[in-house]
Amino acid sequence: MKKWNKTLTPRIFLVFGLLGTLMIFLLVCVLTAAAAGAISPWCFVTAFIAALFLVGLIIVWIVRPYRRMEEKMELFLDGYMTTDLDALYELLPTPASLRVMRRVGRMMDSAEILRMNKRQAQYLALQNQINPHFLYNTLESIRSEALLEGLTSVADMTEALATFFRYTISKVENLVSVEEELANCETYFSIQKYRFGERLHLEIECNPEEREEIYRCRMPKLTMQPILENSIIHGTECKIDGGHLKIRLELSGRRLSILISDDGCGMDAAALAKMNEKLGKSGKVLAEQSGEAQGGIALVNVNNRIHLLFGEEYGLHVFSMPGVGTDVEITLPAITNDREIQNKEALRKEAFR
Amino acid sequence: MREEVLRMERVTYREQGVTQLENFSMTVWAGEILGLVPVNHYGLPALIKLLGQNLPLHYGYIYYHEKLINHWRSRAHGVNRISIIQNQSCLAEGLTVADNIFVLRAGFRKWLMQPEVLKKQLEPFMKDIGMDIPADAYVGTLSPFERFVVELLKAVVAGNRLIVLNDIGNFISDAEVKKIHGILRHYAEKGISFLYIASHFEETRQICDRTALMMDGQITKCFLPSDGEFQNHFLDCTETFEQRVREWKEREEGQNLSGESGGRSAAAFQAVDLCCGEGGPLNFSVAPGECLVLQDLDNCVITDLIQVLSGEKKAVSGSCLINGRKSNLRAERQIAVVQELAAQSMLFPNMSYLDNLCFTLDKRFPDVWLRKRIKRSIRQEYGAMLGREAFDLSVEQLSEKQKYELVYTRILLQNPEVVFCVQPFKGAEVSMRFRIWELLEQMLHKGIAVVILAVNLADALALADRLIRLRRNGGADEYQKEDFAKLPVTTPWLYLYQQEQTGRGKTGKGQTDKNLSAEKGLDV
Repeated sequence: MKKWNKTLTPRIFLVFGLLGTLMIFLLVCVLTAAAAGAISPWCFVTAFIAALFLVGLIIVWIVRPYRRMEEKMELFLDGYMTTDLDALYELLPTPASLRVMRRVGRMMDSAEILRMNKRQAQYLALQNQINPHFLYNTLESIRSEALLEGLTSVADMTEALATFFRYTISKVENLVSVEEELANCETYFSIQKYRFGERLHLEIECNPEEREEIYRCRMPKLTMQPILENSIIHGTECKIDGGHLKIRLELSGRRLSILISDDGCGMDAAALAKMNEKLGKSGKVLAEQSGEAQGGIALVNVNNRIHLLFGEEYGLHVFSMPGVGTDVEITLPAITNDREIQNKEALRKEAFR
Repeated sequence: MREEVLRMERVTYREQGVTQLENFSMTVWAGEILGLVPVNHYGLPALIKLLGQNLPLHYGYIYYHEKLINHWRSRAHGVNRISIIQNQSCLAEGLTVADNIFVLRAGFRKWLMQPEVLKKQLEPFMKDIGMDIPADAYVGTLSPFERFVVELLKAVVAGNRLIVLNDIGNFISDAEVKKIHGILRHYAEKGISFLYIASHFEETRQICDRTALMMDGQITKCFLPSDGEFQNHFLDCTETFEQRVREWKEREEGQNLSGESGGRSAAAFQAVDLCCGEGGPLNFSVAPGECLVLQDLDNCVITDLIQVLSGEKKAVSGSCLINGRKSNLRAERQIAVVQELAAQSMLFPNMSYLDNLCFTLDKRFPDVWLRKRIKRSIRQEYGAMLGREAFDLSVEQLSEKQKYELVYTRILLQNPEVVFCVQPFKGAEVSMRFRIWELLEQMLHKGIAVVILAVNLADALALADRLIRLRRNGGADEYQKEDFAKLPVTTPWLYLYQQEQTGRGKTGKGQTDKNLSAEKGLDV
């Protein structure tokens, strides 16, 4: 599409120009007829065809694009589309508004939004405040002391905690392999096991033939662990009897699907709809994120990061039924190389921080 | 690596500003039979429409074979290569089986038809599934089961990799459903996927690899057969219905113990060697206030029987007795027939609400159309029950619930000796099924005999006092309520009867119920 044609104003001017020409043509016809004493029927036919053409032009060129633009703006205001502002650039009222939108787009740079991600910010703050080596050395000392005293469980717990911190604090890269992420989940789960004991069970399921391929896939760091944490805290903690957690991994042609299920309390249809709405309208949630009190913030954060890195067609979806349990489905592109990522810019900026 | 046939990703779809599907996410894998149980039917017609055609989405993405076919930014209106098979057949009745399968197919370019060639082409497909439907038979002459097979073959021949089966249990008998399951499994092994929509978990459990539960236009949960407590999940959603079944059974038992039922000896309606058409002679009777379920195992009796009972057709032989009096069934107001999908088939849109209500009152009040006083008093009497505002609405403006209430109240006003209901729960969502149940219960309390004609037992069994299973050759198996536990079918609520029987064998019924329910995780 040519540059001048990207806004509504030139189209409106052109239509008015054509309308004016038609009016002048009709006036000339009338004046000629007044002078000659009769109006030629061809004048009417030509004017009628020109009017039809103008009406068609107005509908196709102005009315329809205007409606489409309105729909897209409504969706944007509703919170859909956080990164892909190109859809809004398709047509705008004036050239100045096009420039304004481009400026807004630059301001809403993906890396900036990633920074807005609260959980991410918390980890970064932790990383800045705590000297990781001091933490690991201290944990290692506790472990040695515990071993000397014969407290194996304390030593194991400390080791697990050190491994967990090493993963969450030290590794600054944004994408990790599924295998690393699963290992972190298992570490986190082993820490939780000290609290819950035999009440908690974790199962990891995937097709053995595809295991290697699945484990090589890349995914944003700390994607599964916050969801697992949610499943334990909101799903299983409130149950008197044991809780079963399951991570099911499935690979299709272009997609990696991870289903984290619990058999906990679940949620009713209204709460489920609200949660999925939050996940769908990630932009609005980002804009309105105010305090810690908001429920499901971990899921929203993970979802936002996926949206920003891979696009809106990937992300999280929740299925739940009260008394039965909750399933969180994570959909990711099946990539084994960081270079295959859609939003490389966001990844690069984030890694340099 | 598993192949994805259909993926709906956070689809929000609106029709005239009303949200039909909200954040709807669903995946169907190649060779999978995915069950879909809609707790309420909200959004289901929209989903079926959206599967067949790419309509503008409010938000979301739809992929077919991993290819994006519809998304919220596109304005595509293309038709998808997904077949939908439902009660309303899409076959051309005046054409042969081969014509329907091969000729009425997108991409068929020939100008001259060669029936022999088509017949030969069809043979391997028929052999493949062990069926023997003549290629030159006209579709109009086929049974619902055969039509279903033809539609299935049409979809397979057209190369559609996803076939949607909408509530097939309601037009195909139990025995035929088993055959169909075999065929579906056969095609699933070949990589064809199915979306099996059914009203009950019990039905999907028999065949589906996974079952998704749909509520208020969203998928709330997906269940795998390995998920253990499979049945209870659904019962949690329909516990009101289950509670009602229990209450009904307990009340019935109470009445039996106190002898209130008075021994239903005199028959309100009796069919003696009644031969209607394809099926053999029918012999059954029903007492006042009794609920009898006639299950048509081969789906060959109901249509003819209803035509005979409503006076449209004469019986080939045999007779019907109403209160011991022989009736020719023509304009007989002592018999009422509630047709299938009553809310659509039994109302007259050109008539007012009140006229629809009084439609069958002519035998009780011959001057009902002349004297406004009668209608006025009916309006006053039933206004409280049906809602006064409903009387001022046109039929089109009525809600589904109001339509059902109008049909059933008309029958109550008519006060017949016996009511024949053709699949009364068909196509009704859970809350509507409760209401239909209540309305049928009202009739039974009034002493009206109720005969439910069903292909699929599903909800009908819960209300039944007696069940007769009819076969094509005229054979019939009769089950009394206490024998329901022995039924060789998987049907909802059957476990209640099985519990009862186990209870009789043990200490006390109440205690056993509690024990069994605790085992099943149910609240009693």
